Amino acid sequence: MVMLFFFFVLPYANMLYISFLTRAYDEPYYHVATLANYANVLSDGFNWEIIGLTFWFAIVTAAATLALSYPVAYFMARSSSKRKGILLALVLAPLLVGVVVRSYGWMILLSDTGLVNQFLNWMGIGARKLMYNQTGVWIGLIHVYMPFMVISLMNALSDVDPELEKASRSLGASAWTTFWRVVWPLSLPGVAAGTVLVFVLSVSAYVIPSLLGGYNVLTAPLLIVQAVMDLFNWPLGSALAMVLFAVTVGTITLFNRIMSRAMKGIA
Amino acid sequence: MAGPGRLLFPAFVTLMFAFLLAPIVIVVLAAFNSGEYLTFPPEGFSLRWFENFFQNRPFMRALGFSLRLALWVTFVATVLGTLASLFVVRHARRLRDFLRVLFVAPLAFPSILTGIALLIYFYAIGVGTSGGFALGVGHVLVCTPFVFISVTSVLVRFDSSIEEASRSLGAGPFTTFRRITLPMIKGGVVSGAVLAFITSFDQFPISLLLSGIGTTTLPVQLFDYLRFSFDPTAAAASTVSVAITVLAVILTERFVGLGSVYGEKR
Repeated sequence: MVMLFFFFVLPYANMLYISFLTRAYDEPYYHVATLANYANVLSDGFNWEIIGLTFWFAIVTAAATLALSYPVAYFMARSSSKRKGILLALVLAPLLVGVVVRSYGWMILLSDTGLVNQFLNWMGIGARKLMYNQTGVWIGLIHVYMPFMVISLMNALSDVDPELEKASRSLGASAWTTFWRVVWPLSLPGVAAGTVLVFVLSVSAYVIPSLLGGYNVLTAPLLIVQAVMDLFNWPLGSALAMVLFAVTVGTITLFNRIMSRAMKGIA
Repeated sequence: MAGPGRLLFPAFVTLMFAFLLAPIVIVVLAAFNSGEYLTFPPEGFSLRWFENFFQNRPFMRALGFSLRLALWVTFVATVLGTLASLFVVRHARRLRDFLRVLFVAPLAFPSILTGIALLIYFYAIGVGTSGGFALGVGHVLVCTPFVFISVTSVLVRFDSSIEEASRSLGAGPFTTFRRITLPMIKGGVVSGAVLAFITSFDQFPISLLLSGIGTTTLPVQLFDYLRFSFDPTAAAASTVSVAITVLAVILTERFVGLGSVYGEKR
């Protein structure tokens, strides 16, 4: 607990404090309180553009992983426990491999001379630019965060009794109606948990946008690290981090409120 | 599901699994492929990229450092996480829920921001990032929650009356811990330790920010390498790192069984 206080609570408090200090050139910062960093961050349209892009990435990643993971999670939830164990191990396996290694795997696949482009050439479609642009970042983000979504959804779907579906079908509802009226509403808690998790992780992703985006895609975490490491402007970097943090928390709160209202409407 | 759905559905699921595993399989294939880049069909089997890797000084130094760091971090995180869990489950009363959230909190905060906060903090208190102390602290911070979660989930299943019985029969607190509590929670401790090891070994954002001179970890070295080139030496490096992770999992499997590792993960 002491350790947590000194090395977790204090550093974050320190970052908050420094974000109000004045930028200096001969030392990291002067101990003079100012709001200039926040004014700087908030008034610069470029920063908002980047935060906007970061959020756009995160929202689409969350939506795409949800759409892709749902069938997988459903399939796993309805599998026998032995098969479920094997499939679960396969879903978790990528998590045990470092994100740098996985990004590199995509770099091999997506580069101009990579396997995907070789395949496209062979098909006669012609090579596409798949990396060092937003496409690469999309693919990487969806891949890296999909396991989190699958696990959240699978936990929720395992709790949905298959008998309910049978009951609904035997009462004359079509497969489609059964899904939308029975399974989907009951899985909403898992959907909400997975979406928030993937969103938060995507907002703070660093490796994927820098490796698969090359230097052509700039997201908020890249900008913050740049401010701190390359420009040595710690007050500005801290202020940026705080703004990103606040906007993220705000978004999640809003999302949770909407979700809980939606769930209430059903129950 | 009826009609074509019966066939399409498993096909889609299979496709998704292929998507999830593809980049890892590709990296390993590229490492053993003799060509500069992967072609289909592969050009032939070769170990030359591994030779390159093992002769590359920065990579070797980073690998050694990563392993030493991960072992230290695992040790510290396991001790701290286990103690924290014992305290929260067995002794904390009013603050229990608050403490539980607090101990897991480092996982919920974006590690890139934690890294920046720690970087600024360590310079502010005059320690800096040389020598790897800051790096170690950062790693322990994000690895301890895994041990905490893992031990807690085992600990809450056991009745504390067994411990009380041991105490009332005259065993000291230390003997009770060693003979009764520790054997009961061994599975949780070991799986937590493995997760901590893997987390530390693969950790990137905190390592990137807190690496000093001579304290570069393997993922950071790999990242720097990939920014300028991606010849298969990097694939060999990746394969070695994957192999070490797999080895850690297999060793755990031998000792406690894999179920507890996967079961406790989330």
